[in-house]
Amino acid sequence: MITVQNLSFSYSKNPFISNMNFSVGKGEIFGFLGPSGAGKSTLQKILIGMLPTYEGSAVVNGTECRGRANRFYEDIGVDFEFSTMYEKLTARENLQFFSSLYDKRPRPAEELLHMVGLENDADKRVGDYSKGMKARLNFIKALLHDPTLLCLDEPTSGLDPTNSRIMKDMILAEKARGKTILLTTHNMQDATELCDRVAFIVNGKICALDSPHNLIMSRGAAKVSYSWLDHGEHTASCALDSLSRDEKLKSLIAENKLQSIHSSEPTLNDIFMDITGRTLL
Amino acid sequence: MRLKSLILWDMKFQVKYGFYLLYGILTLLYLLVLSAIPETWRENIAAILIFSDPAAMGLFFMGAIVLLEKSQKIPCAFAVSPVNAGEYIAGKVISLCVIALVVAAVLALAAGAGCLPYTLFGTAVSGVIFTLLGMIIATKITSLNQFILWTVPIEIVGFVPAILHLFNITPAVLRYYPINTCMDMVAGRKVTALQLFLTALLLAGLLIHARKCVLKMWQSAGGIKL
Repeated sequence: MITVQNLSFSYSKNPFISNMNFSVGKGEIFGFLGPSGAGKSTLQKILIGMLPTYEGSAVVNGTECRGRANRFYEDIGVDFEFSTMYEKLTARENLQFFSSLYDKRPRPAEELLHMVGLENDADKRVGDYSKGMKARLNFIKALLHDPTLLCLDEPTSGLDPTNSRIMKDMILAEKARGKTILLTTHNMQDATELCDRVAFIVNGKICALDSPHNLIMSRGAAKVSYSWLDHGEHTASCALDSLSRDEKLKSLIAENKLQSIHSSEPTLNDIFMDITGRTLL
Repeated sequence: MRLKSLILWDMKFQVKYGFYLLYGILTLLYLLVLSAIPETWRENIAAILIFSDPAAMGLFFMGAIVLLEKSQKIPCAFAVSPVNAGEYIAGKVISLCVIALVVAAVLALAAGAGCLPYTLFGTAVSGVIFTLLGMIIATKITSLNQFILWTVPIEIVGFVPAILHLFNITPAVLRYYPINTCMDMVAGRKVTALQLFLTALLLAGLLIHARKCVLKMWQSAGGIKL
């Protein structure tokens, strides 16, 4: 679906993206993770044909991005981080307008509006929408022409937990429909939950690329923490892979004296900091 | 099909933003002016009114339309759609020309202009030139103040020679100036093939440049200024 080889790009004389190589398979959710200014949005813009002055190769749906024709966009849906709607038009009018720009038969606007819970606000002006409503509408705008590749830029940014959950469920539903999804985010929790594979991007370079699970597991085993009461509460921990050698834990289990016990794997955020030495802010 | 859709939706936006209402009121006002002046002045005054307003409306309204789109990040949406720059420009130019032609027809008929097809053709050509100029400026600026500032020199080179030419107080060679050719046609005067050729050259140049400017605007929505 996407093949990137020796990709470099620069806004000035200094390289901004240098020598990137990766590929994304059909039906995969692939995440670009990194702090602000790392180059992940720039990379996504190259892949959607908005920045043609790159070096190397970036092939999307069989087309080299720098040489794309306008038909390239018949099969790509882009959801920007911000609203790209006419505020004076209603949601329904916006969807009608943007669907009229494609040759493909559009997905029914009514069905999409229902899917994101906006069916009762379809005839309201977009200017009167809340941020969460605009984000959901922007998302279904990217689905109108039923593209095979979806590019989502910070899809949950600024959303409250409920809207964030709705958005993530919609992304997973599109994956279930067979779509390939490129996700740009600096939210590690979203990436862990949604992505099949992620690429850590810092200073325009890919520092690591694997599934969230493999990345987490590659950095040491999870820990087990436990507590017990003995003239006050005490806590201790040991590595999951040496659990059977922890005599204290074995005795507490035998005497049924455990107060609490839980495992704690490192998060993707911990792994990111470990690998890149950077935080995601 | 896509162009038809762009034209119809652009007209819809113009209705929503009150362009049609505004031009309804302005047309009534111009009709009052025409009815109040002596009959011998009517044709020339109608030509000035048509040339300076409906024909040139694109120069002013394109700034408002494109700035409004920029403020709502619409260029980003066009940049990742199958619409090409030519279709985008044609949609705006044709939709604005429709209003210009209707207003010009009403004013020309009210003034008893001699050759309506000439006047309408002149209005259409002037409308395309001024709309393209408006679009070229609008793609480069970020505020309405900048737009107003940029339009001043265009108004000077666009309107002053044309009005002087209408009253035959310009050197003969200036009849080949495409803007004066447009004024000739708006006033219902016949023009030569050379005049038309030079005007077509200007139109083609503006169209090519406007297309480049729109592509640059879309590309800068991608975060890069080439």
